[in-house]
Amino acid sequence: MLVVRRFLLLVLPVIGAAAAEEAGTSLIQKRCLSCHNSTQKMGSLSLESREAAVGGGKSGPALDTSNYTGSLLWMKVERGEMPVGNPLPPAERSALRAWLEAGAPWSTPLAVQARARADKSWWSFQPLKIVDPPASPDAPTEWSRSAIDRYLYAAMRTKDLKPSPPADKRTMIRRVAFDLTGLPPLPEEVEAFEKDQRPNAYEALVDRLLASKAYGERWGRHWLDVARFGESHGYEQNHLRSNAWQYRDWVIRSFHADKPFDQMVLEQLAGDVVGKGNPDIEVATAFLVAGPHDTVGNQAEAAKRQQRADDLDDMINATAAGFLGLTVNCARCHDHKFDPIQHADYYRMQALLSGVHHAEREIVTDGERNAWEAKAKPVEQALSDARQRLKSITEKAAGRVTEIRKETLAKYRPPVSPRLTEETFPSVEARFVRLSAPAGAPGGIDEIEVFTRDNRNVAQRTAGATVRASSTRTPEANPEAYSETHLNDGKYDQRWFADGNQAVHVTIELPEATMVNRVAWSSDRNGGFMGRFEAAILREYVLELSADGEVWTKVASSEGRLPPRKDDQEHIVLLAALPREERETYRRLRKEIAEQEARLKEIPALPTVYAGQFRQPEEPAFLLKGGNVMHRVEQVAPASLSTLDGVMEGFTVSPDAPESERRVALARWITHSRNPLTPRVLANRMWHYHFGRGIVGTPSDFGYNGEKPSHPELLDYLASGLHHYGWRLKPLHKEIVMSAAYRQSGAYNEQAGRIDAEARYLWRFPPQRLSAEALRDSILSVAGVLQEDAGGPGFRLYKYTVDNVATYFPLDKFGPDTYRRSVYLQAARSIRPELLAQYDCPDSSLPEPKRVVTTSPLQALSLLNSSFVIDMAEAFAARITREAGEDTEAQIRRAFALAFLREPAPAELTDAKELVSRHGLRAMCRALLNATEFLWVM
Amino acid sequence: MGDVMKRRDFLLDFSTGLPALALAGLLGGGARAAHAASGKPHHAPKAKRVLQIFCPGGASHLDTFDYKPELEKRDGQPMPGGEKEVSFQGANGNLMRSPWKFVRRGQTGKHVTELLPHLGELVDDMAFVHSMTTRTNTHGPACVMMNTGFVFEGFPSAGSWLSYALGAETDELPAYVAIPDVRGIPPSGPANWTSGFLPAEHQGVAFNASEPIQNLRRPESIRDEEEKATRSFLALLNREHQARYPGNPDLQARIASYELAARMQLSAPEVSALEKESAETHDFYGTRDSNPLIAAYAKNCLLSRRLLERGVRYVQLFCASRASGVDGLLNWDAHKTLKADYERHCPILDKPTTALIRDMKRRGMLEDTLVVWTTEFGRMPTHQQGTLGRDHNPDAFTVWMLGAGVKGGTSHGATDDFGRRSVENVTTIHDFWATILHLLGLNHQKLTFYHNGLERRLTDVHGHVIADILA
Repeated sequence: MLVVRRFLLLVLPVIGAAAAEEAGTSLIQKRCLSCHNSTQKMGSLSLESREAAVGGGKSGPALDTSNYTGSLLWMKVERGEMPVGNPLPPAERSALRAWLEAGAPWSTPLAVQARARADKSWWSFQPLKIVDPPASPDAPTEWSRSAIDRYLYAAMRTKDLKPSPPADKRTMIRRVAFDLTGLPPLPEEVEAFEKDQRPNAYEALVDRLLASKAYGERWGRHWLDVARFGESHGYEQNHLRSNAWQYRDWVIRSFHADKPFDQMVLEQLAGDVVGKGNPDIEVATAFLVAGPHDTVGNQAEAAKRQQRADDLDDMINATAAGFLGLTVNCARCHDHKFDPIQHADYYRMQALLSGVHHAEREIVTDGERNAWEAKAKPVEQALSDARQRLKSITEKAAGRVTEIRKETLAKYRPPVSPRLTEETFPSVEARFVRLSAPAGAPGGIDEIEVFTRDNRNVAQRTAGATVRASSTRTPEANPEAYSETHLNDGKYDQRWFADGNQAVHVTIELPEATMVNRVAWSSDRNGGFMGRFEAAILREYVLELSADGEVWTKVASSEGRLPPRKDDQEHIVLLAALPREERETYRRLRKEIAEQEARLKEIPALPTVYAGQFRQPEEPAFLLKGGNVMHRVEQVAPASLSTLDGVMEGFTVSPDAPESERRVALARWITHSRNPLTPRVLANRMWHYHFGRGIVGTPSDFGYNGEKPSHPELLDYLASGLHHYGWRLKPLHKEIVMSAAYRQSGAYNEQAGRIDAEARYLWRFPPQRLSAEALRDSILSVAGVLQEDAGGPGFRLYKYTVDNVATYFPLDKFGPDTYRRSVYLQAARSIRPELLAQYDCPDSSLPEPKRVVTTSPLQALSLLNSSFVIDMAEAFAARITREAGEDTEAQIRRAFALAFLREPAPAELTDAKELVSRHGLRAMCRALLNATEFLWVM
Repeated sequence: MGDVMKRRDFLLDFSTGLPALALAGLLGGGARAAHAASGKPHHAPKAKRVLQIFCPGGASHLDTFDYKPELEKRDGQPMPGGEKEVSFQGANGNLMRSPWKFVRRGQTGKHVTELLPHLGELVDDMAFVHSMTTRTNTHGPACVMMNTGFVFEGFPSAGSWLSYALGAETDELPAYVAIPDVRGIPPSGPANWTSGFLPAEHQGVAFNASEPIQNLRRPESIRDEEEKATRSFLALLNREHQARYPGNPDLQARIASYELAARMQLSAPEVSALEKESAETHDFYGTRDSNPLIAAYAKNCLLSRRLLERGVRYVQLFCASRASGVDGLLNWDAHKTLKADYERHCPILDKPTTALIRDMKRRGMLEDTLVVWTTEFGRMPTHQQGTLGRDHNPDAFTVWMLGAGVKGGTSHGATDDFGRRSVENVTTIHDFWATILHLLGLNHQKLTFYHNGLERRLTDVHGHVIADILA
């Protein structure tokens, strides 16, 4: 400390006032200003200027001009309290102290420095630009043919890298088959390909794979990651969406058919408009609502708005990131900190989507709808006529009803009540008390009490009574929740519930024959349900007593009680009020209405899909300050993002125009030929899945925080290719997998590895681990049990139960109905099957543009020990016995051919024989399914 | 992003023939540190591991640790300014005092409900935060908010962040273990211990007493000898494959993962062998209590200690589950029958939790272990109209922490006279996690992972360390 002070005293005059000021204020700039500035005044303190510091904040002046080193600013720093959690290192502390001792020279106010960020000149917002690939005279022939290779080769040379030699045929067929279909080729296909000496053998293979149904399943699965497609709501209740699979089928179908991507965008955002009456197209709007949605209702206004805003945020995020590679959701609270996306842009996009609601929707052909209406219309008409006539009768009698209401109702006993229903009868000796409910007991019962004349409850368990119910609801997740023991535990908190709403009875056996005269019961004695379930209550009952449990005597029933519901009571009054001649008409009409309603119900409902509902927004969108739903600032019209104003024309939709026009306009803008983002993002996603890494390593972020392209000219070439091919993916796939870059060896090269370990410059084909789905599908395929059936409702790897909230019980035994490709798994949120979760299958709550690839001991455990893999090892063993006969060596050769597409090496063969002879084929098959070679594509 | 790349580079530095042990360290053990190549915390840590106790359902601050004499006085009167308030389930009635007395405990004389007699013993060690707030009043998103810092599903939980930042202290157990309650999983289920977009290895591993880790045991149909022979054949296959493709560290990592798995198979059953504990310990925790729910939670408490002792970085222990048909029955969601509900839940939490903390203290574990008690939101000071329960309250709730680096006997922040809103030193969930990361030697602004356009943090873009509860 002393040294520093002396140093400063000596040096100050020399280095000058500006430097002295700089010594202290630069520290304040660096260490304090991010919290203590004029916009974000933590502790009401700004440290932007000397005046502001002297003015101070909540705790007083930060600078004390009469005693600088006694200033609060110094105390806080010295005690290590500031900056919070990040105390100043000793050297900076000394420098600050010295500055204070020098009188805190501070003439120039500070400002929070703008961070580096992108503006509209950022590379990804510029028009596509075609630069001819540079000629490289030294390039090998196969690297000079295609444009892709010429771009790559030229870039490689700038890094002093050379491409690898071509991969062999076996490697190539395995690589391209997994890439395009997610499944291994058959040994016979490998053999045929190796023998095929035609120059276009590889091209023919590519064409065949691209045309296969499996291509749609593989590449559809990639898109489902981006679309955060899940088949349950998530959050607390997490109920299944049993009719969301239609979207998954639409995705697979569209990829398989090579539907142009601009059309796919349009259908996903506005399929209800462009495909009206065509379910194959309409279901695509499920994209908008494919994300999670909290289904627990809410009564508080702010919370309701928040839930809605969060639903829309999910849609905005999925749409902007998925199609445009933009993180628009970062502009929810303020202008985007890194990209030219205004705060208002977020709300423009929100306005575009504000007619979309989470819900299922009837999706049918016009024919189906007409047929349904033909059946329903006459019934609806009859119903409406009957209701009309009933109404006029009722209206005529209104006066009389008022007149006689009181006296009519007085003729009845009070209705049953959830709070308490009682029956009193002349004292009688009984050992058994039975309460029967022929129409069920929907509200449950929290307690039944049986009283003696001196008001003693003898039904309690503690008094030795026992209770039995003819049925009890036992939810699997919590079997005791509605137990019959609640009926006589002396407490009114928990209720017994019958299983279903059929006839049910509850019998109480008293410890001994007892004289009793009153029975009471309730479903909500404490009134906790605020009368919300008045209608769901045990209404019809018979109360019987018995001495022996065999001969019963009825002592009371619900007869003569008023019905609990007000409108049923009104019905009684009305009947009494009507003139005799109208009474019959009234009864007849009531009967007819009930009959027609039943008939309407019998007509099978039209099929629905979880594809969202669309309603004209009731109010305009507002820009929200800080994203706070209660802090509306100004109206925002539905319009395009200002981000691309420099390269293409934007649009604004009139708030009065039909809601659907907003979504159509958005889709057209996204796929407009001058929009540079959409084709770049799509081309990059394709490259990412082919090579395991995108030209831009952040496939859903083409902004400042994302990665810059490693090969910008190549990216623009591929993006223009999409335009050129009319937005069809398959020709571009073909161009990519036909390239020399794709067809080169994956072997490691130490020299190149030192320069570019990740092979970003593609000096080799980067080896890839199978995705979780490809791994599971390969196991099924090699074991010979993979089911070919495609589409339709997904299979489950759990048992599903619902009791308000959904519960998923993971299965540990799987039947052949689950031996389908993993893309057909019903993908409930948070409930990822162990094997898939461990091999990095995403949870689908957020879009996943790029799966992380991990290696962990838990992966090893599930591949070694799960019952699925053991079952598959057995099936695999049975298959090779079936196909190769009894000879062990032939069996081993067949197993290697299926799993690795090759012959066993001599050492492998010897060891395999030994293993099989001692422990059977299953042991060898289990090992093959665990082998690295099985999981990796080289 | 940068960190992942650094990590990959790190892996690539290895050439062939590296002993499996060294790779094991990289994969699953102490040397693992994904957030920085150094693998070190940002500053000297006070705590090395965390026990998080979570009471799902919204544990009422007003009936546990936040004493409000004014609420007792005005019981039955309308809440000033809150007459027409509508909350999660609907309208609210008048102010309702806690059905239980608050009593002064410890040297500090802190008021705690008489319904938690054992936990009350520990008040001098606890630092309370009474001014907690959250962003939603719905269980599912609120649980996710409490555990991940976001109301949306899909973000990594705090335990995953710590696994990512610091790894485990052992090779033989996962870094992060979640112990769901015997009554079931909490609202939003596994989203409470998900690794979100962090690598899958940081996922919380859900333990249960019978099989600590799924697929840990070899299937019964496979005998020891067959297992050995199979694994040795597998080792041959993998070695041959690796020899054919040198220079691929991922292939080596895979071989190492099988060795680690074998070690986990030995040590994980040991950790859940509660029978190895003395009878005295079992009685101390209450694992043989006649109430099966108390006994089950007590066993989970004992399991927690054993996990932490053996180097697990983060244990997330749940006391209660999701609702199932009846509010307040399976968790702390006392909408209608507060008295009955909390007379059920408090004794489950009280004695076993206290025993766990005292046992850890006795063993010196609190020197470097942080214990935090959490819930997703608080409850209203009024009774829900027509009921004897309380509705959700996201504007005020209480959490506490104790152990390494925590200043015991302190209280930070306060609610208003009735406990309706946090008014003094209002604290967010991001502040709470910033403080915990700070105690673990991590700067919450520097612990980041790139995903979908942002360097993501546990604390989003918020969070301030709560300095006055630090020792």
